[in-house]
Amino acid sequence: MPEAQSTTEDKRHSLLVVDDSEDVHRLLQARLRQENIDLIAALDGKTALAMADSEKPSLILLDLDMPDMDGFEVLRHLKDNSDTRDIPVIVLSGLHSPADKVVAFDLGAVDYVTKPFDLMELRVRLRSALRMSDLVDMLGKLAHIDGLTGLWNRAHFDDRWAACTSENDRSGRPLCIALFDLDHFKSINDTYGHPAGDGALQGFAKLIKREIRASDIPCRYGGEEFALIMPGTTPEDGAIVCDRIRQELGAMNWPAHPERKITVSIGIAGADADVQVSPEQWLEDTDKALYRAKKGGRDRVVVANLTSGQTLEFAKAA
Amino acid sequence: MLQSDNGPLRSEFSDDPDMTELVIEYVEKMPQRVHSMVTAFETSSREQLIRIVHQLKGSGGGYGFPQLTTVADRLEQRLLSISDQELSTVDPEFRALIELCGRMAA
Repeated sequence: MPEAQSTTEDKRHSLLVVDDSEDVHRLLQARLRQENIDLIAALDGKTALAMADSEKPSLILLDLDMPDMDGFEVLRHLKDNSDTRDIPVIVLSGLHSPADKVVAFDLGAVDYVTKPFDLMELRVRLRSALRMSDLVDMLGKLAHIDGLTGLWNRAHFDDRWAACTSENDRSGRPLCIALFDLDHFKSINDTYGHPAGDGALQGFAKLIKREIRASDIPCRYGGEEFALIMPGTTPEDGAIVCDRIRQELGAMNWPAHPERKITVSIGIAGADADVQVSPEQWLEDTDKALYRAKKGGRDRVVVANLTSGQTLEFAKAA
Repeated sequence: MLQSDNGPLRSEFSDDPDMTELVIEYVEKMPQRVHSMVTAFETSSREQLIRIVHQLKGSGGGYGFPQLTTVADRLEQRLLSISDQELSTVDPEFRALIELCGRMAA
């Protein structure tokens, strides 16, 4: 769930220390005890690369002067691997190698510390690198978030949908997707103005967030359209979640405009197991279900089960 | 604090409570390291000697023994510039390092 972190200092960081000297590891473990940081140790390049890939540390401290695979080679490999490329690296360079720093920065290191290092200096450089990395993470997240509603944006939806359908192919786990379209939304904008329309979208987004489970992925799909990916969920269970949203919306009061009731039409397409349907076709089927909900009178849920071929409708009792 | 050239070499962190245990452990390992270095020297194992000296260079300062880093560095630079057969030419630097290690105290 996209949530703005209130402060960057809350997060617990991990530091991968790569140095062939056990003494250095012991020293850092003692000296960094009070920092809010978990230490991971690697005594050679090969181990370092494996640990960076599996642990995804927040930061790497890399000794350049190691036997066998030297620090530069490790740095090169780290940057070549898309999984580890974005982990910031601080290099530990030796007394006799001012040129090392230049090469290290060129290869992508964010900072350097000369050995033997001054503990205070190391501490503050570590903190600074972690602060920077948190900001970069936040920026990355922001690029995936819809500014108005705080839900995931369309770009993120596209990524996740591809991943979820892939997973469904591989594992046969149930998968369900819903498209929500607020009814007569254009008239809300026309009657009350765009700020009011924006308010309604925000309110609906908040409602979705309240009603969904932790594994669900809520997205703003279009102007007044929302999508909800529900991994591990059968069409029937998906329909229950979405109908609850529909009913909650119906029971809600719009304080600014109490005379106006807002409703939503929902189309769902889901599978109990693996289906031989392309991600695009799956979305089309969802859209078709949404269309049927609109045509059928709005304020309802239409759910298509792609495994059984059945379609059901949930609406308020007449 | 004045230290005579031949007296015990104390760590700069000897008064730091966080570091006490660590420094003691480090100093206690010294005889073993000296032994390894002497063996390497006597068997003309230049590469092996370089490895140990390199470690001392990298760690000395961190444990409050900057002189260790300096002296080890001097020896390492010399070792890197000679061949396996010329080990005896670094005898003075080697002795300086061994002597320093012998003086180290927590």
